[in-house]
Amino acid sequence: MSRFFVVKTTANQERLVANMMSMVAKKNKANVYSILAPKELKGYVIVEAESTEDLVKSIRGVPHVKGLVRGEVSFNEIEHFLTPRKAAEQIKEGYTVEIISGPFKGELAVVKRVDEARNEITVELIEAVVSIPITVKADHVRVVDKKEEVE
Amino acid sequence: MTEVACKSCKYITSEATVCKICGGRDFTKNWYGYLVIIDPEKSEIAKKLGIRYPGKYALTVS
Repeated sequence: MSRFFVVKTTANQERLVANMMSMVAKKNKANVYSILAPKELKGYVIVEAESTEDLVKSIRGVPHVKGLVRGEVSFNEIEHFLTPRKAAEQIKEGYTVEIISGPFKGELAVVKRVDEARNEITVELIEAVVSIPITVKADHVRVVDKKEEVE
Repeated sequence: MTEVACKSCKYITSEATVCKICGGRDFTKNWYGYLVIIDPEKSEIAKKLGIRYPGKYALTVS
């Protein structure tokens, strides 16, 4: 029966740590079955291993590992990372969002329409003199205010 | 060297020719989340996602 542990890493080095850990685990013959680095979880990786000893074997000498999180997590707690919801499902019309990439990076905008199938949203920039609807990928915005705008 | 993910099975590779796992030819640079499967027979995560071969996988592709 596998158990799930959490390893703390340097931020933005999760993928490197996961690769190195898999190589070290194979070399040291540790019973590590999988390593998960969800994008939502910065600075941590989730390791599926047989026991704590196997986990310790797999992090030996791996750079950017900052430590182990005490205890273990259940499968239910990590299940939602495996089937991530689309970004558009979490955005509703009227929300204020900040655009985080592309030519309008840093601009605030109000959501006018959500296309869940395409994972796109249509927004209008708040600071623009003439409001022009622009369509952006839902992954490229960050929700600032969830209050729906009063007309 | 950019890594790309197969659009159908989410396998991550650096050679965007033919997917080693499913034989698909459709790859994308826009993938998120990272999963290394070492032992697909014993891994609960691999069972849940229906992964049968060890390797690197993405969690979402677009």
